[in-house]
Amino acid sequence: MLLLKEHIIFIIIKFKFITNKSNPEVNRRNAVKNVLALSFLSVAGFSGYKYYSRFKEANIKEIYSYKNLIAELAETIIPKTDTPGAKQANVQDFIINIITNCSSVPEQNTFLDGLDDVQDYCKSNYQTDFVKCTAEQKIEVMRHFEEKSLYKIGILNKINKKLLGQPFFVRLKALTVIGYCNSFYGATEGLAYDYIPGAYQACIAIQPNQKSWATK
Amino acid sequence: MNINTGSNLENTFDAIVIGSGISGGWAAKELTQKGLKTLVLERGRDVKHVSDYPTANLKPWEFKNGLFNTQKDIMESPIQSGGFDPGDRHFYVNDTEHPYIQEKPFNWIRGYQVGGRSLIWGRQCYRLSDLDFEANAKDGNGVDWPIRYQDIAPWYDYVEKYIGVSGQVENLSQLPDGHFLPPMDLNCVEKHLASSLKNKNGDRLLTIARVANLTKGWDNRGPCQYRNLCSRGCPFGGYFSSNSSTLPVAFATGNLTLRDFSIVTEIIYDDTTKKATGVRVIDKITKKEYEYFAKIIFLNASTIGTASILLNSKSKRFPDGLGNDSQQVGRNLMDHHSSAGAGGMYEGFKDQYYKGRRPAGFLIPRYRNLKHEKTDLGFLRGYNLQGHGERQEWPDRFQNTDGFGVDFKSKLTTPGPWTVWMAGWGECLPYQENRITLNNEKKDAWGQPLVNIDFSFKDNEEKMMEDIQTTSAEMLEKAGFKDIGTFNYKKPGGSTVHEMGTARMGRDAKTSVLNAHNQLHDVKNVFITDGSFMTSSACQNPSLTYMAMTARACEFAYQQLKAGLL
Repeated sequence: MLLLKEHIIFIIIKFKFITNKSNPEVNRRNAVKNVLALSFLSVAGFSGYKYYSRFKEANIKEIYSYKNLIAELAETIIPKTDTPGAKQANVQDFIINIITNCSSVPEQNTFLDGLDDVQDYCKSNYQTDFVKCTAEQKIEVMRHFEEKSLYKIGILNKINKKLLGQPFFVRLKALTVIGYCNSFYGATEGLAYDYIPGAYQACIAIQPNQKSWATK
Repeated sequence: MNINTGSNLENTFDAIVIGSGISGGWAAKELTQKGLKTLVLERGRDVKHVSDYPTANLKPWEFKNGLFNTQKDIMESPIQSGGFDPGDRHFYVNDTEHPYIQEKPFNWIRGYQVGGRSLIWGRQCYRLSDLDFEANAKDGNGVDWPIRYQDIAPWYDYVEKYIGVSGQVENLSQLPDGHFLPPMDLNCVEKHLASSLKNKNGDRLLTIARVANLTKGWDNRGPCQYRNLCSRGCPFGGYFSSNSSTLPVAFATGNLTLRDFSIVTEIIYDDTTKKATGVRVIDKITKKEYEYFAKIIFLNASTIGTASILLNSKSKRFPDGLGNDSQQVGRNLMDHHSSAGAGGMYEGFKDQYYKGRRPAGFLIPRYRNLKHEKTDLGFLRGYNLQGHGERQEWPDRFQNTDGFGVDFKSKLTTPGPWTVWMAGWGECLPYQENRITLNNEKKDAWGQPLVNIDFSFKDNEEKMMEDIQTTSAEMLEKAGFKDIGTFNYKKPGGSTVHEMGTARMGRDAKTSVLNAHNQLHDVKNVFITDGSFMTSSACQNPSLTYMAMTARACEFAYQQLKAGLL
């Protein structure tokens, strides 16, 4: 009866997990790293279930301090050209909302860790923050994380992907794209937004510099 | 217990309709137009056409989290959130508030509000044919339908002319034509596929979906504006729902009383008159109990809801539930499967695009087992293919496009190649063991037993899914598509939201619940015209059949009432 919802791309993985609130002082990064290590074990046949409890509540408020970093990362993915880029479209606010409101604790941790990793990587390779990197350096950094994510997709089994969510770069890119394409600037200038079409024209000649439709 | 019997006069009507969804709305319209004072009981809140569609005009950037569901929504409603997004979540129940028990995974998608799921339905309108009505008798599954196509055909006419169905006449015996508004157009790639798969026998073709979306103004509604936001409720009245169409008409007669927040717990049976006298209701908000009385009762609470009301209506005469002498109430639960199919890419038509968002795809009507012939396919019955063609746009492109920066943005924002996605909507046989029961140990917030659902697709459906993958991929291949991939999402039962069969019609009171007039065999003034009456599932989207059978049963009930027989 319903629409072809399976065709919708926003696939949100649903599962229940147990959080352990009794040890709030445990470092978030370490906790997740432990789980990562253990989840590799689970590939070898262990049940990963009991390790869910190692998941700590993410200190999600932290994400606001990364707002500039997220904005710069998003802008590197969708830069300003003759149409607005991600930053102008406020993709950073969208991403913060999605990570805060629409993500599981492991997904939140994966994302926050990814941001930390970007900072660490820039510090050790360029002795500065991502935000202050040159355009070339930013592209180098992104390439590095894109390759890393592809590697991760390869080795993580399905269950672990469900557990931890998509790798950081994959999620960042997806949220940047979705945030941009659903934003006012992205939809109306980056793409073609047709609020009330009024008619369906099934076959029409494509126009020069044709943008694709913002909504399906 | 607070029983407010009130004065019987105040609580007494000519007819009671339980449920205001697509079939309940029709019962309300028909009965009130015949002059019967009618009470419609709806367990959820009221939803007024247009003014209660809060998201209908919102633009994508006006949703705080885009169209992502919040983690809270997902946790509270792990089943419903698979169907809703922030644009239409207010038309779905909260799973935590309305729990049920899954013996095996079953997605029970519900919309507890005035209009029910008619607000969020897929709007596909297909007639059943004698291929379907004869199927059980010919292959021995389930029981024989007590009606044939000629019994329902005039009622299909009647309903289609009222709701407005756009579509194309195709002269197929397995999918009879109806009264259609002008069809929507197929786009380039769909036309190409259509011309490729048309065969000499004329029994395999591709046609535009037949949908209750108005291609021209109709009955003071519409036309469709091609926004493709139907499930938020349409401020243009571009598609048929109880809210936009049948309920306003019923109100206009002056004969309709609508009571929302009214959970019907049971139908009251009187052993001396051998009839139902009324219903017992719990007010959802106050939790007070009320009783209402009427000469006839239409039960339209949706397939699973209707069966649970019958099972819960116990009396000395019916210790196992009202009208359940046959022990078939709750059994033979069916849902179409729609998991298997194929997709592919087409390299042509690069200079062609489309404008507007057509709220419907295409249909390839059933082409398997058209003559009940013995075949080596390994399965009985058949399926139709539903799908759509489009150019890849940003949601399709970003995951397959590596990189980032200017080049990435350029690919992201321009139309990609044409693709077609299509899947088989397949018939599910009636199995006695696919059933719902009530669990009296576990109760909901209103003290009502939880519904236990035990359902699975079986070998016939699995084999059919394999065939769907094969034939749909073959069609794409023959039409010159590239990168063809087949899929089987293996969605659990309920996912197509076509629950049917839990109070089946039949010729024999020993093996069925309802007679040829949708009347309980042994309680003549109770009529059931939601999906629960379906004796077999066919493969067509079933709502049109519910509406036609409702109108038919209303006329019968009215004539019987006039003749003093009820």
